[in-house]
Amino acid sequence: MAFDIDKYAAGSERLGWDDLDLEHFRENPLSPETLRTLRYMADVEYHTVCYTRDLLTTPSHKDGEISTFMTMWNREEFWHGEALGAVLAVHGITVDYDALRASRLKLGWRDRLDPIKQSMLGKIVGSDFVAVHMSWGAANEWSAVSAYKRMADLETDPVLGELLRRIAKQETRHVAFYVSQARERLLKSKRAQKLTRLLLSKFWAPVGSSIMERDDVQFVFGQIMGGVEGRKEMKKLDNNIASLPGMQGLTIFEKALDGLGVAA
Amino acid sequence: MTDSPNSEAAGPFDIREFTRTAQGNFRADLDLTSYEAHPLDAETLELVRYLSRLEAATMEHLRNLLVTATHKDARVTAFLVTWAFEKFWMADALDAVLGAHGLDRTRNVDEGPPRTGADEAIQRSGPIRRAIAAVGLGAPIVATHMTLGLVDEWILRAAYDHLRATTDSPALRDTIGRIQIIKQRHEAFFADETEWRLSDSKRAARQTRAALATAAWPIGGVERAAADRDRFEAFVFSGSDGSARADDIGRRVASLPGMDARIGQTTAKKLTP
Repeated sequence: MAFDIDKYAAGSERLGWDDLDLEHFRENPLSPETLRTLRYMADVEYHTVCYTRDLLTTPSHKDGEISTFMTMWNREEFWHGEALGAVLAVHGITVDYDALRASRLKLGWRDRLDPIKQSMLGKIVGSDFVAVHMSWGAANEWSAVSAYKRMADLETDPVLGELLRRIAKQETRHVAFYVSQARERLLKSKRAQKLTRLLLSKFWAPVGSSIMERDDVQFVFGQIMGGVEGRKEMKKLDNNIASLPGMQGLTIFEKALDGLGVAA
Repeated sequence: MTDSPNSEAAGPFDIREFTRTAQGNFRADLDLTSYEAHPLDAETLELVRYLSRLEAATMEHLRNLLVTATHKDARVTAFLVTWAFEKFWMADALDAVLGAHGLDRTRNVDEGPPRTGADEAIQRSGPIRRAIAAVGLGAPIVATHMTLGLVDEWILRAAYDHLRATTDSPALRDTIGRIQIIKQRHEAFFADETEWRLSDSKRAARQTRAALATAAWPIGGVERAAADRDRFEAFVFSGSDGSARADDIGRRVASLPGMDARIGQTTAKKLTP
């Protein structure tokens, strides 16, 4: 099914949580482990705009549907950051603009060179690179949905569970966009398939890897994707990727979790 | 006077309030049926088309900002995320006016060839060159981006004001009025940021003077069609009234911290056809 971009734009809203009683966490605080994972998720959501930057340096910004999507997507993800930030704030953890700025400054040189590298690559392979980005985005959004749903299942707190499910619901629409774009573009070009396969298998890393410390990444993915149930979820993610044209047999999630030493 | 009010002296900008109360789709509030009996003339429709393009070009603009240190400033990116969202819906409202005249949405209408003059060559550089150029510029580039954003708001305000004052269509006047209410907050943010950032750093002011000397207006103009730019400049900034409007913007540029009369005159000259 083609993704209806006009319908998506018209229905795009900032996440609401006014009806949820966040004050309830004062009596029933979340565990430090949960807070650490939420902090990670909030940072990733707030950094979406940095990821947009990498997309925009390729030819994808000229496409009307993609720029419409990115406009709405950016804002929705920003509000996911705000929502998680509100939960953290009740626990005395501030994710304020200054804190975010500090973590972005830490990115240093690697971050400065990234858009240059991406853009050079984007120019070289032209519009096939858009297929890579759409597939990459699909992998990220698929894992975001999984992460939020897994968290919601693992958590016994009803308020947090509800908030995470609301976020996951919006992420599902993001998946739909990226998957329909990726599928369409991959089907059109064997070269795009080859390039996407190569880059996903060589360079893909779990969401947040480029902006967070390695032990944070290990901790969060250990929490969400560890154990028998976690591995089941991981297999599902790999099957999703493998269902994209030309991606049969890829196991990027399994490779990433093994690389992080997440116990099965 | 029909001109919209200045929003510069409005006190510190409340970014949280702005993000929380962003204006989304307002197509349903527009009076589109009245165009059936009183359609806009072809020239006005071309201007509306161009304004829609300018409002919609947020991703092109973001591309140039985000490859620099500007993306590190979380307050600015929180603004830009919301700003892009609001501009998307302003462009959509203008498209609705075009749609009421049986015209296709802007996204589907090919744009003519851009200008090719040597004086704007530097503005045509892509993200690679911009990213490389910005490596040495550091944080002051945020001040430059905020100033360019502010001047761009002044230029578009002059255009919307003039269109509102000269059109005989009450429906178009209302639509422009709606758009200008939204744009007031954008201008207020840029004005706030420009003021403190330029006052804060001599280097920021120096870099911004250099950027204004090579700027092409409105922002993103180098990507727009030459014919559209010609029409826009003739409409807003030609004749004695027009050059008074350009001079007014020039004077405002000159009065920003660290700017001077010369850079103000340069800006005014760039605006006039």
